[in-house]
This record gives sequence, structure tokens and C-alpha cells, in this order.
Amino acid sequence: MQPAEARNERQKTDSTSRPEAEETAPRVEKKLRCEARGVHKSFGKTHVLRGVDLTVPEGGFAVLVGSSGCGKSTLLRSLAGLETIDQGSIRLAGRDVTNLAPRERDVAMVFQSYALYPHLTVRGNLAFGLELRGTSPADIAARVREVSEMLGLEALLDRLPKQLSGGQRQRVAMGRAIARRPTMFLFDEPLSNLDAALRAEVRVDIRRLHDRLGATTVYVTHDQVEAMTLADTLWVMNQGQVEQSGPPMEIYEKPKTRFVATFLGSPAMNLLEGKLAEKDGALVAAGDDITVPVDPARFGTMLAPGRAVTIGVRPHDLVVHREGMTRVTEIVVDVVEALGFETYVHGWARQAGPTIVVRLDAANVKVGEKLPLAIDASKVHLFDAETGRSLSS
Amino acid sequence: MMRWLWFLFLFLTSCEDLDARTVVLWHAYRGDEEKAIAEVARDFEKTHPGVRVELLAVPFEAYLSKLESAAPRGHGPDVFIDAHTRLGAYRQAKVTAEIPAGVIDANDYEASIDDAVGKYGVPLSTKCVALYVNDALFPDPPKTLDALEHAQLPAGVFPLAYEADVAYYHAPLLAAFGGRILGDDGTFAFDSEAGVLSLQRLQQMSHDHVIPEEPNGPLVTQLFVNGKAASVINGPWLRADLGTSVRYHVVPLPSIDGAGQMRPLLSVEAAMLTPHGAKNELAIDFLRYVASREAALTLATVGHQVVARNDAWTEPVIANDAPLVAFHDAVKTAIATPVSARMQSAWVPSDEAIRKTLRGGDPRAALAESRRRFDDAVKPPPPPASPAPALVVLGLLMLIAAWRIVQNTHISEIRASMGAYRYTAHAIVVVGVLVVLPLLAGAATSLFAGTRDDFRYVGFANYIAILTARGGALLGHGSFWLTLLVTVLWTVLNVALHVSIGLLLGVVLSRPVMRLRGVYRALLVLPWAVPSYVTALAWKGMFHRQFGAVNALLSAVGVEPISWFSKFSTSLTANVTTNVWLGFPFMMVVTLGALTSISKEVLEAAEVDGCTRWQRFWKVTLPLLRPALLPAVVLGAIWTFNMFNVVFLVSGGEPDGATDILVSQAYRWAFSRGHRYGYAAAYAVLIFVILAAQTFFAERAGREERA
Repeated sequence: MQPAEARNERQKTDSTSRPEAEETAPRVEKKLRCEARGVHKSFGKTHVLRGVDLTVPEGGFAVLVGSSGCGKSTLLRSLAGLETIDQGSIRLAGRDVTNLAPRERDVAMVFQSYALYPHLTVRGNLAFGLELRGTSPADIAARVREVSEMLGLEALLDRLPKQLSGGQRQRVAMGRAIARRPTMFLFDEPLSNLDAALRAEVRVDIRRLHDRLGATTVYVTHDQVEAMTLADTLWVMNQGQVEQSGPPMEIYEKPKTRFVATFLGSPAMNLLEGKLAEKDGALVAAGDDITVPVDPARFGTMLAPGRAVTIGVRPHDLVVHREGMTRVTEIVVDVVEALGFETYVHGWARQAGPTIVVRLDAANVKVGEKLPLAIDASKVHLFDAETGRSLSS
Repeated sequence: MMRWLWFLFLFLTSCEDLDARTVVLWHAYRGDEEKAIAEVARDFEKTHPGVRVELLAVPFEAYLSKLESAAPRGHGPDVFIDAHTRLGAYRQAKVTAEIPAGVIDANDYEASIDDAVGKYGVPLSTKCVALYVNDALFPDPPKTLDALEHAQLPAGVFPLAYEADVAYYHAPLLAAFGGRILGDDGTFAFDSEAGVLSLQRLQQMSHDHVIPEEPNGPLVTQLFVNGKAASVINGPWLRADLGTSVRYHVVPLPSIDGAGQMRPLLSVEAAMLTPHGAKNELAIDFLRYVASREAALTLATVGHQVVARNDAWTEPVIANDAPLVAFHDAVKTAIATPVSARMQSAWVPSDEAIRKTLRGGDPRAALAESRRRFDDAVKPPPPPASPAPALVVLGLLMLIAAWRIVQNTHISEIRASMGAYRYTAHAIVVVGVLVVLPLLAGAATSLFAGTRDDFRYVGFANYIAILTARGGALLGHGSFWLTLLVTVLWTVLNVALHVSIGLLLGVVLSRPVMRLRGVYRALLVLPWAVPSYVTALAWKGMFHRQFGAVNALLSAVGVEPISWFSKFSTSLTANVTTNVWLGFPFMMVVTLGALTSISKEVLEAAEVDGCTRWQRFWKVTLPLLRPALLPAVVLGAIWTFNMFNVVFLVSGGEPDGATDILVSQAYRWAFSRGHRYGYAAAYAVLIFVILAAQTFFAERAGREERA
């Protein structure tokens, strides 16, 4: 990844000279590894975190993603010190902070509601953390100027939060975090209160800012677009545990479980029941709705004819059957969602069977029409029907 | 509501009047005394077939206003029973008539009784104090005060207890030295050599622990019942409280070596005739009957009253009731309480002089000061002023207002909003009658002076007198300006403590980790739920010098008992403590409410940003509570500024009116310094102006802050 290399370059220069106040581009002074080991947390009888391990390399951008209630926000709050953990340890920058108060952890957090101080102006909000640390007024002024230039807040400095729009508040919240130059940034669903257009814009801003500052970041979201676009490392959480972690594309392409497979990708992956069988000397996964070719090279020894599997095919990987392809199924078109640049077709292979979704480039499909489909064997996902674990090696 | 009931009552009584065979009688008796008067009425009905006596129990305090409103219309009672001490006021209001000759014979009564009622009442019974002695402690009651003082008694037993700081109870001691509270010429006779001697004697008794400190009615009773006081000076009303709990007998008050006999003040319960009743032959007949020996016997046997007729006491049934006889004997030495309306103005200065002496002050100086206050209280009202200028100004203002209304009114708009007016009309009427009219009436009263019969327009004379401290030093005793300073100090102290304690508890109780916080919340709101006068009286008791819980606690940690109401600082402390107890729950509830509106994430953000708990409170929580607290503080300041109950009931202005606030001062002008309603109303208007200004500025400050 190109920006990561650029960051590494910067780190080298930073280690030689500490950034001074007059420097125009702010730098994060300390880099750290965030390390959580075997974190358990319960609220009453609800076991929210069940032994979570999380590591973020210096300058990394980790995104915690998962459906609501999976424990991702609790994990983030535990990192900030807003929740005490029942078991396990948390180390930030090589320091054990498990039992330290939030203010002793030197992290900054951007909240979903932004949590700006309603009684302070934008300037006051930006300066708050610095004043608490006893930074000199001159340094505070310089830092506030720097941050407000970076985020385009110069014209808003004397306004109160209630006089700002949602997007502006969001930027102030980020500015407040940046101004302090903490060892780590924590974002708790910071974009969910913005409208769709603004969300896309700020998302890009956040990525750009991260690349510029190179600050270690942990970011919680339930939005897979944010997750995919922002993360260096994606942490998919499910029921209080990390289901899979790694670079976003790797997770997208090689989901280790059925949950991860359906969680990433929109529309979600089609999951259809079937069994492994031999057909014409080749291995196939065959079900009532679909019969797909299986590439033994991808699955190795896990394959035994007769084994019950869940067949996963992404809508994007299905194509309309043409001469020379293997037809995997034929659906009757039920709903056509034409978005202009692409079209989603919902249909079923047999009456009362599960809905199958296909992404097509063109919109020349009509409801009621029969649509034969094909897929490349390399795009087929197979999961154990019982455990939901991927069969790929 | 009361007013309507009253009209209903008047209507009903006027219906009764159609039946001429009725005598209407008002009384204020309860219990046995009520039974006795009812029996007298029945006996009268028996001897006068076809005649009915209509009895109605009316509280004494309500007599005058009800008589005044009923009598001119020919309604109200034919006969009413009250103490002779109020005759002066009744005669001034012309609600009594002379008793026709021949109804009573002066020879049937002690001279003092006849002196008291004159031609305007049929004496029924008497009330005066005597000496109750505990049989066990004083088998042989001392005949002189000196013997009583030096009696050999067990440790911790007071030889004597009585409400020494009340002029009514001090009067016998004063009389023993030949003094009076009010002279025959209506001057403050207490300020005399006799007065000084009596106060010196009292000071000595208090110093020698002959009598308990800071006595009050319940305390005196309790001491006597528990055998902690060997004798008490009290009236016949004490008998009901004593029951059979202690063996005692009643003797006339002792005499004093080198002076004379202690002579109590006498008040005579008498049946009085209204002008309306004077025309009713049956009413005269009824009076003749209640004056009879037969009726007196009923009152004595059934009502246990100390009946006035001498010849009733030959009857064995009552002649054997030793305490009753003792009280009758006491009448022989008693002095009739003066009827003059000036007596009303003499009580409070007298009490003040006695209290100052008991606190160790110089009797002579105290009496001179009290005389000054008496003279000030009875000073004739300012000369009438011509209402013309005021009327002209008022007329002009009304013209201007009318002109502006006409200018700014558009008929079409009014027509369009007619429907809306229909919906709000009842509210306008209710608010108008209950709020606006009384306010205007109060404000108008402040331009008048004098009492009922002589109510005159004096312009701004009341205001001028108040603002110039009645010609004395601007910050002199009891002046408006000094009282204002005290009031401001009182308000600031209270509100500061209310807010800080309320905030502290609110913040503590809002912490979700706290167990049982619902229970604590309910308990802490409790002081607010108890009526303030109950709380005030409870605290008053707790601050008692000798028997209060506060001093008991202090002595447990080795602190000398404090005489709370003898110094301004401690007296104010007692008041403030009580009012803080009453007032902090409100601020706590406001804080709790406002805290729920503070976003949890904002507080967490502060924590992450590096706040300690303390910094978070000062820099985030408190600024966010401000908008909710500000109106509460304004309200709390108004309530405290006008917190009459606590000041009046706890310190009662002690020492010597120093802790009085404006509203209690206004009360004293209205009700204990010669009924200067106009003067008190001017105080009320000034209080209103001050509070209106305070609210206005607070509101503006709040608005600027929000902008």
C-alpha cells in the first residue's frame, strides 16, 4: 500500500527530531502498538466480550466491524478506559494500562454523538484537553490554529456547537482529538449521524487525515463500506469474539466463516444448501437450487463426496450463462433493481426456494423471465453446513 | 370559598331572624366549657317556652371582622361571649351596646371584675394566674417569693417556673413593686422605678437558677409534670394538661419581702350585647339568666370555670373544688387588664425589655428603649393628605393607557379572537380576583394610615417614614435599611448553602453505582414535604438553651451550651440551619433533573480528554447545570427573601428584632405594633419592588448568557 510506505518514511524523520509548535504539519509524537489480550467483560449476566485479542501495529488503522451487540463498542471503550475489564490485559505503547483511568492512557476518542462541550465555543472545545494538561496559552493558540486550518474550521472558532451543522460538529470532534496529539485515536461510529453524501466525503477525509498524521487508530463501525475503505486491518467481531482479522480484501475474498462471508459485501453473498458430489468425473457441490463446480486445488483434502456444505456465491460473481460456460442454475426473475450503472436481479430457482441475487451490468431483464446463470469455479465459497467454517485451506 | 360560606351563613341567620323567638349567641368555647354554655342555653329555653337559643362557635380572632360586617346589616348575634380585654376595640367599632340597667348588680362581683367590664358586659367567669405547687416538693407552700427562692429542694429541681419572658406573666412581679405596664393615662408605665426593680429581681432569679432559662408554655408544663419545677405560675387552663399526673394544689401568688403582694392581671369573660340584640327583649332576658346564680353554678360545675358571681362560691359543690376556689381567691388581688387599645401596643415592647434583661442587659436602658418603641408605635398616624394629586396622576395614567389601548387595538382583530377570549375568560376572572385585585388593594392600602375607625389617605407618608427610618438613624435598630441588609445577608447565606448542598447531594445521588439511592432520594426530599412551620417549631425546640438537642450534642463533644437566640450571629445561624434543612431538597431535585439532561458521552469525552473527577465537575458538569440552576436560584432567592415561617417561629426576630427580615418586620407593623396596616402594606410594596427588580436583572443576565 502506497500511503503506508509514505508513513514509514515520515516515521524515520520523526524519530530524529521532535516536532515543534511552529511546525506547520502536526505529527503524532509517540507511536505505539495497541495490544489487548484475552479481554473478558460482562454486564450483569450478559457476557459481552469473550476473550478478545487485538493488536494494532504502529500507525495502523484497525477497524472493528460487526453487527450491533457484538461487543465492538465495548472493546473500544475498554481501550479508552471508560469500561473496566473483568479479565485480560491492555497495553498501549508498551505500557500496561489495564487499570489506569482514561486520562492516564493518553488516547483521544471521537464519539458517535460527537460529545462536544455545549457550553464551549469551537475554540474552547479544541483547546480543552490542552488546557487540562497545562499547555501554555501560546502553544494552545498555535495548536488550535493548526488544527482548524487542517479541518477548515477557521471561520467557526467562535461559534457554539449548537450553531454548527452535523458535518461541522463532526469535524470539531475530530479536531478536538487531533489537537491533543494523543498516542492513539479511537473512533466510535463517528459517521453514523451524517447523511449519506456527507458520510462518503468525511470518510475520505478521515483516511486522508490518517495518512497525513500516521496516527494509530481504532475505528468502530457497523458500516461495511467504511470498514472496507478505511481499514489497514479489519477485525470482524461476532458474539464477543473476533471472528476473523486481516486486510479487508483478504477477508472479502477468503472469508473464514459463513458469518464473515455474509457480513461483508453488498448485496450479501447468496448462501444455498447442497452436498458434494461427483459429476462427469469432476467434483461439484449440488443442491436443489444450484449446482456449482468445485476447484479441488482451493479446498484440498476437506472434500469428500456426500458431505453437506453451504454453497456461497456472491451476486457479483454470478454471470448470465453464455455458450461455453457451465450453467449452474436458472432463476425466474422476481424483482429487478436497476441502479443505472448496475442492476440487481432477485429471483428463485424453484418455487418457495431461497432468493438468489445477481448483479448485472445491463438492465435488460424483465420480471418473470428465466435467467440461466454461470460462475467461475474460483469464485465459489464452500462452508461446512454445520460449523459454518470455510472449507478452503 | 370561605366568603361564600359566610354569605350563606348570613343568609341563613337572616332567615332565622324572621322568627323573632330566637336568641343568637356566639361563643368560642370548646369541650366542657362549650357543654356548660349549651346547658345554660337549654335551661333558659325551659323557663321560656317557645324561645330558642341559637349557639354558634366562632373563633375569637374572627369575632371582630365578622361582627363588623354583620352588625350594620342587622345580622349576626344578639349576644356574644369574649374577654373584656377586647371591649375597647368592640366599642370603637360600635358593635356592642350598653347592658340595660337592672340586668346585673355590681354588688354580686369583686370590684376588679366590675371595673373591667363596666356597662358593656355581663361577667361570667374570670381568668388570672396563681401559683401551682407540687405537694411532694412543697408540702407547706411558701408565702413569700423569698422563701420560695431559698427553699431546700433536690438537685436539678427549679423552685419556680413560668414564662418569665412574657409580659403577661411578669405583670404580677411588676405589680408587687407597685408598677403597671400601661398607665391610666395610656403611657408606658413599665418604664418606672418599679419596673426597674421588678426586672432586677427577675434577673437575679434567672442568675440564681431559681427559674429555668428560655421558658415557654410546653416546657413549663413539662417541668412541673416531671417534678423538675416545684411550683409554676399559670392560669386555670393548666389544670386540663396536668390531669392526675402530679399531686398539686393552687395558692394565690406569694408576696415579696420589702415590696408587696404579687398581683396577676385579670381578664373577665363576659357576655356582651350587640346593638342588634339590644332591640331583642329575649336577648335581654337571656342576659338576665346568664347573670343569675343558677347559670353561674352550671358554668362552674359543668365547665369548671372560675365563675364571677361571688354568691356562687357558697355552693358546696364548687366551694370544695380547692383549685377553683384558689383561682377565685386570686381574683381579689388581681388587677383588671386595661381595656384601652393602647394595651395592644404595650405587650411587645414589654416582652422585649424583659428578654433583654434576661439576656443580662441593663433594665433601665431596656425599659427606656421599650418606652421609645411604644411611643413610636402609638404615634398618631400622619396627617391626612389631599388625594387630589394622586387622583390626577392616576387619571392621567388611565387616560394614557386607554389612549394607547385604543391606538393599538384593531376591532377586526378583537372580533377575530373573540372565540379565544371565551376560552380564557374564566382564567382572567380568577387571576384578576385572586391575584391582581388583592395586589392592587394592598398597594392602595399603603397610601393610607390609621385604624378601622380612622382610616385616612396620607399619600406617600408611609413610604417616606420607612425610607427615612422614622426619623432615626438610617441603620438604627429595626430600620428598613438595616432590616434590608439582614434580609440580603439571610438570603445570600441560605441560597449559597441550598445550592451547594443540593448540588453535592444531587451529584452524589445521580451516580448509578450507588446502592439504595432511590431510598436516599426519598429520605432527602422528606424535609421539603413536611410543612415548614412544623419543621421550624421542631428546630426551635432543638435550639433551646437548656433542653435542646443541639446543645446536648455540643456538650457531648465538650462544647459549652450556647444560648442560641441571645446573639445575632448564633440566632441567625439557627435560622439559617433550619431554612437550609427546608430548602436544600428543592435544589437537589433540580440538580437531579438537570443532570439527566447532560449527555453521558460528553462526560466521558471529558474523562478521555484528561479530566479528573473534580475537574470534570467544575469544567463540564457545573457549566451545563447552570441554565437549569439559574431560574431555581432566582426562585429560591425569592422564597428565602420572604421566608416568614422560619424567621418568625425559630428566632422570632431574637435577639431584639435583630434577625427580623423585611417580611417579618412588616408583619410586626401590621399585627403587633398597633395595627398599622397601611405602614405594613408599604413594606410589602417595597419588598415587591425589590424582588421584581431582582428577578428582572437575573432574567436579563440569564438572557445575555444564553445569547
